[in-house]
Amino acid sequence: MDLAFDEHQSELGGIARQLFASRCPPATVRALEEDPAGFSRDLWEEMGRLDWIGLGQPESAGGSGGTVADLAAIYVEMGRALVPGPHLASAVICGGALVAAGVGGAGGGDHGALTRAVLGGSQIVVPALSEPGTTYGPEAVKMAAEARGAGFRLEGVKLLVAFANSADRLLVTARTGPAVEDITLFLVDPAAAGVEVEATPNVAGYPLFGVMFRSVDVGADAVVGPVGGGWALLRPALERATVLRCAEIVGAGERVLEMAVGYALQREQFGQPIGRFQAVQYLCTDIAIATHLTALLTRQAAWRLDQGGPAGREVSMAKAYGSRAAQQIVHRGHEVHAGVAFMMEADMQLYTRRARHWELDLGDARYHDELIARSLEA
Amino acid sequence: MDLRFTPEQDAFREEVRAFLDTELPPDQAFDHEFCEDDDRWAFAFEFTRKVGAKGWIGLTWPTEYGGLGRSAAERMIMFEEFTYRDAPLLNAIGWGLAAGSLLVGGTEEQKKRFLPEIARFERFWAEGLTEPDSGSDLASLSTRAVRDGDEWVVNGQKTYTTWGHRADVLYLAARTDPAAPRHKGISIFCLDLGLPGISFSPLHNLGGGRQNHTYLDDVRIPADMLIGKEGEGWSYIMNAFYAGGGGGGLHAKMQRMLDQVVAYCRTTTRDGVLMIKDPIIRPQLAELALMVETERLLSYESLGNHENKRPPVFAGALGVVVMKEGQSRFAQLCNQIMGPLGQLGQGSRWAPMGGDPEAWYRQSYANHAGGAPQVKRMVLATRGLGLPR
Repeated sequence: MDLAFDEHQSELGGIARQLFASRCPPATVRALEEDPAGFSRDLWEEMGRLDWIGLGQPESAGGSGGTVADLAAIYVEMGRALVPGPHLASAVICGGALVAAGVGGAGGGDHGALTRAVLGGSQIVVPALSEPGTTYGPEAVKMAAEARGAGFRLEGVKLLVAFANSADRLLVTARTGPAVEDITLFLVDPAAAGVEVEATPNVAGYPLFGVMFRSVDVGADAVVGPVGGGWALLRPALERATVLRCAEIVGAGERVLEMAVGYALQREQFGQPIGRFQAVQYLCTDIAIATHLTALLTRQAAWRLDQGGPAGREVSMAKAYGSRAAQQIVHRGHEVHAGVAFMMEADMQLYTRRARHWELDLGDARYHDELIARSLEA
Repeated sequence: MDLRFTPEQDAFREEVRAFLDTELPPDQAFDHEFCEDDDRWAFAFEFTRKVGAKGWIGLTWPTEYGGLGRSAAERMIMFEEFTYRDAPLLNAIGWGLAAGSLLVGGTEEQKKRFLPEIARFERFWAEGLTEPDSGSDLASLSTRAVRDGDEWVVNGQKTYTTWGHRADVLYLAARTDPAAPRHKGISIFCLDLGLPGISFSPLHNLGGGRQNHTYLDDVRIPADMLIGKEGEGWSYIMNAFYAGGGGGGLHAKMQRMLDQVVAYCRTTTRDGVLMIKDPIIRPQLAELALMVETERLLSYESLGNHENKRPPVFAGALGVVVMKEGQSRFAQLCNQIMGPLGQLGQGSRWAPMGGDPEAWYRQSYANHAGGAPQVKRMVLATRGLGLPR
């Protein structure tokens, strides 16, 4: 019985912390919020050279081997440094679905070359899942794919598509039947006729886009995996991504805790460091608790995913808690820093804004509460 | 990272389950902290002696002191199984606090004299730490022990003495050197409650149990009943509290409560809807399940750190805060889920789940025992995070 990261994972985390501290300091995070791409190609290529992009995927499919727990150790550091990048969208979610489709074999086009390119980092594929008027899960996919000849016609709107402006392909979920999970995955060129990408300003300054599909015709070779079998390919990849989001929350929480404790020790009011006031101590301990419990739930979920069996319950526990923790961490961080954290020159607000994206991404607390409740019914 | 027990440990779990199947009829399970039914207590004494006969009370202690020399993981497994079934394992002060103190600071002679006897459950220990004016600030305790020849003469008052009226001996903290700094002048005694000069008056608690005021009036304790070194009592109390611990099975208790609530919600209709389908109740059940999970992971994390000889995270204080604050929240949620009839208790045929949630709600405020949650927050802030005192 051991919940700690093993030696290899701790080492990976240490390397990642150093790399991101030098290549993605807060000044870079700020600059990238103003950059249309929203991420650093240089750092992306460096992650590729380190074999991190395909981490957690089998070498036979073009991945680098390794485990979800290995990735989690790196994601903790990505969260600490607020590193923006398409890794989660491209390598974890789309790469994961592509690998699963390749293993499954049946149906769809042959995407082996694209899979290798995604896991190597030379191509970026991002998922287009969310739609207006829906929330999360397979129920939220309303967009229809109508069979036309050998191919399909896509009609509808996808929102919250991260890095759509940098993507070589979009991986689009669309409904091919009435059953909840009768969903098919399509690879769509964002430059194809009828596809329009629209920037959506957002709290996190993150590159999120709306994508309009107006009578977009795709061939049968655009299908990934079996028709109607898309969600089964996507679900494990989304579970993995959900756990890694939680790992980012952990890293951010660790950093906010350091900032809050550091400020509480240094800032004096009423003739003493404010960290001596128990009200302020309570705020700091709240951050420590929220961060640490997210860390434990995240490590458990990562370990469970690496075992290969069902892990949905553990994943939802991590995100149900982690989503709330993300908000609690930054809320308490603001209370400790008060006025200075409200100024844009403070780093605290960088976490405050990103935390909101993490909280809502890949299922908010209410959604994962519901999945936990379903696990209790079974 | 590995969240599994070993096959040997799994086999031990099966052994514990088989023992409980045989020795603990479900209708004899009860929480002996909150029950004064003498028949149940008679069963609890008999049951605990059987556990002692298996060698499981001193499971992890060295064999030369009456233990079995088994691992901390097996101790965790045993407590998980016992706690999940609400097994009335008596004498937590004996095998927890007293044995912990002896293992930390006892002389070789004392360990051989006391530990095998505790492992067999020959005498029932109560706790004599808290005083009317020394609760969270325990180090301010003023019960005095004065050396007189081969004896110590003790005067003072203890309070909230759980099980005192049923116990044989008291784990007594008394001030032996009033001139020393307050943490340095305290010693620990094994006080035989049959000695002259000891009396109790009852305090009935919110949970349904009895505690006591304990009056010590010129009680003469033989000198060889001082445990460890004179003046070192505070370090024994602290180490037995934090290192020895009670066993870490709280998550199993919460799991039992959750399982009962879920079973009830699966089979009970309210306002025409099966409770487990109620959109208000579902997130409440999810929150309960999450609290069980985090409590379990905290226990497993500290077990893993112990087994791999790593220091506890946040000076061991974070888990204590979560555990203490969680207890009352957990019971409140269980009770809220029951709806308007949640206020009905045992004895009413209309009480949901036989009135258990009503009792849990009252009992959950025992979370102050061993230190109020707020005090533990201060420990977490100062020792765990390095904030100033």
